Amino acid sequence: MVTNPRFRILTFIGLGALMVYNLLPFYWMTMSSFKTTLEVISFPVTFMPDAPTLDAYRSIWMQEGFPVYFWNSIVTSGSTAILSSVFGVFAAYGFSRFAFRGKALLMTVMLGSQMLPGILLVGPYFEIMSIIELYNTRSGLVLALTTITLPFSVWMLKGYIDTLPVEIDQAAMIDGASRLQTLLMVILPNILPGLVATMTFAFLLAWGDVLWALCLISEPAVQPMTLGVLRLVGQFRVEWAQIMAATVIASSIPAFFYVILQRYLVQGFAGSAVKD
Amino acid sequence: MGESRSVLYFVGPAFLLLILVLGFPAMAAVLQSFELLWVPEAGFSLANYQRLVTDPGFHKAFANTAVYVSCVVAFHMSLGLGAALLLNADIPGKWLFRVAAILPWTIPDVIGGIVWRFMFDTLPGFVNGALLRMALVDQPLEWLGHPKLAMFSLIVAEGWRGYPFIMLILLAGLQAIPQHLYEAAAVDGANRWHCFRYITLPSLKKMFMIALVLDVIWECRLFGMVYSMTGGGPGNATEVISIMTYRQYFEYYNNGYAAAIAVALALLMLAVSTPYLRMSMREER
Repeated sequence: MVTNPRFRILTFIGLGALMVYNLLPFYWMTMSSFKTTLEVISFPVTFMPDAPTLDAYRSIWMQEGFPVYFWNSIVTSGSTAILSSVFGVFAAYGFSRFAFRGKALLMTVMLGSQMLPGILLVGPYFEIMSIIELYNTRSGLVLALTTITLPFSVWMLKGYIDTLPVEIDQAAMIDGASRLQTLLMVILPNILPGLVATMTFAFLLAWGDVLWALCLISEPAVQPMTLGVLRLVGQFRVEWAQIMAATVIASSIPAFFYVILQRYLVQGFAGSAVKD
Repeated sequence: MGESRSVLYFVGPAFLLLILVLGFPAMAAVLQSFELLWVPEAGFSLANYQRLVTDPGFHKAFANTAVYVSCVVAFHMSLGLGAALLLNADIPGKWLFRVAAILPWTIPDVIGGIVWRFMFDTLPGFVNGALLRMALVDQPLEWLGHPKLAMFSLIVAEGWRGYPFIMLILLAGLQAIPQHLYEAAAVDGANRWHCFRYITLPSLKKMFMIALVLDVIWECRLFGMVYSMTGGGPGNATEVISIMTYRQYFEYYNNGYAAAIAVALALLMLAVSTPYLRMSMREER
């Protein structure tokens, strides 16, 4: 398309304004995390730290148990990602390669289950987890988070398997491979990037959750990062430098992965309805 | 035939798992709302739903949700469309803008809420600091302490967090529009506005509707952002339905009532998502 210089300048101004809105909170949280306990609550505010310090990071890492929360988040989100992609990849293969009665309905139920609000389920989960003694355990939290990640993983993986021609399945089966062998030896290697993307998204969905953790975990020793930060806010209302340092740590991992995977984002989250 | 049996082995496990972790708890919530489960003397009762109809607290939460969701979604859609059009332009350093543009969406909502809470904090917050420095106000505003301002602040914060994803969906839509349409229009003497009005907008319609429905659903059930930023306060000025449900269950122990509220919310969301689900079902056929 023809672009005249005036239009170009307007585009840059628009983008500039957008970037300011987008990045200001990041600027503020990062700057605040380098301030001292006193400077961060001083009035009038300083827009840059007078004497940048890593004290806030040191104190949440050494004193507030953040290494433990960080580890809990990794274990919980990692297990959720593995669980939902193992179950998900089989279901996705079934949905992609078999024609059967009620298939469209089943897939719609999968998608529809994601429309249920988590708040509907947390109450019963609290009761059930207490009964089967999984309250306050990471395993219980993993099961609960699977409700978010499993339908999502099935849909996303099906999208990737759909892109492979059926002929490669047929060729494998003519060579004597069973359905299971076809999936594991032929399909899986071919959708590896998609599988990695799906697992990463499942990991990040679990990483970002707080509702389930809030309702199913009361013990700090097993709580994930998000809950750790949230409880830090309740605990020390004025320790903003520490809290901002914690938010920097908690958001850097998802920011990093989402940026890397951004070309998979739309298909992953909006489902097959947006495939063009 | 063996084929139709073997599909069970593939699809079955995931479905059983889904029924176990999602189907049963959802049923349990429905039973709870009728006082049939986890109560000392179980007996069918509509009391929780009657209470829902008459409780001013629920009416307030419903109104809050309506205001909040409609403002946030309108904000997301317009900013998302604007940003998508800007990023679709051919400019140097576009990838850098793209990366910066999705950053807010990558942050866990509860973390975003905490950061914005500090942004809007009365004395050490950034917003008041900047407004005072530019002499736009004479004294700090109580952003999170005043009911109307708190709702406004929440909308600014969640608007920030959610719009990048809408932008990505619409950007995908924009990039799927064939270039030759614009070239043909240019030959016919169409100007920029004509192209936008008669090519871009109609081609985006489907993606726009999908983004709209998904966003309404996501915002209706949003919890972490509100919980960490205002906690529903001041008073119940920003108490949306998900926060109210949480409080009724885990703070006031009105389990049956909380379940009834959640069931009402779930029905509302299923109703909103029906057109989307039907469209998706048609595409699968």
